[in-house]
Amino acid sequence: MIRHGFGWVVAALLNAAFVQSSFAQNPAPGARVQIKGELVDTWCSVTGIMFSAGTAHHQCAVWCAAGGIPVSIKTAAGEYYMVLRIGEDDNSVADKSFVKIQSHEVNVDGELIERDGVKYLFVSKVLDDEGVVDLTHEQNPISPFGE
Amino acid sequence: MKYFFILLPLVAFIAAPAFAADEWGIDHEKAAQFTAKVVDLACALKGDCPANCGDGHRQLGLLTEDGKLRAAVKGNTDFAGAVHDLLPYCGKTIEVDGLLIENPAISIYMTQRIRETPDKPWIKTTAFLKDWTAKNGKPKQWFREDPLVKEVIGEDGVLGIKGLAPSAPK
Repeated sequence: MIRHGFGWVVAALLNAAFVQSSFAQNPAPGARVQIKGELVDTWCSVTGIMFSAGTAHHQCAVWCAAGGIPVSIKTAAGEYYMVLRIGEDDNSVADKSFVKIQSHEVNVDGELIERDGVKYLFVSKVLDDEGVVDLTHEQNPISPFGE
Repeated sequence: MKYFFILLPLVAFIAAPAFAADEWGIDHEKAAQFTAKVVDLACALKGDCPANCGDGHRQLGLLTEDGKLRAAVKGNTDFAGAVHDLLPYCGKTIEVDGLLIENPAISIYMTQRIRETPDKPWIKTTAFLKDWTAKNGKPKQWFREDPLVKEVIGEDGVLGIKGLAPSAPK
């Protein structure tokens, strides 16, 4: 019984140490990258629950960003980069600076940190913002609801 | 026979698991119930840690007991995330139930229910709508009535391009 209790204590301490080590206190900086792509809402676009690109989905992308769903940059190759900061602005939840640029085609410079299947991006500078250029409404109804 | 119809729902209720995530049929989704610590993602990744996980201004994640960091991107309110639901538990370990979507391009988690400990009841993740209603009044569709949405759509239009209005697709 005592041995079992000791084992649990050791296991708990090892687990706590592992979790602590995986919670970055002084993490190494991520890679410097330049990423080009469309700003999308990370729910509709990833899940494919509806048509979710360009002008036809712009309104919904604004809804989702205003609802606090993370914004990502989706590249032409289909990679996603979840944006957690733009410049000095780290208000990444329902902040106007994040909401207003939904569906824009951008080219950004920033720090990339990959962890557990997610590419997190801390944008240092927006190098280019072309606005909304993917005119998907010409071929698709407004998504969702058609209006 | 009448007892059969009375008892059937009861038997079904008892036989069903205590809780299971609502499936959406999304590619790569799987129901995932686990214990995790609520964390500020930027804090976990870069050691930049304001008080109270950024007070609702930062995206939150779930750090599991085996060290996996899950991005909690969605709650149970239409078109809304899970920050309102998770923020009260910043730094605490809770139990979550929902959908883990391990798309090869990005892994995300939809938090559908949370509970503080196994002896506490599950809470559906609808805090966004509750908080929105308390601030703005009861909506028909919060996403069409939200002040920030109205401001942005008012400035740039439904299509995101000033002066361009929707028309019937070709």
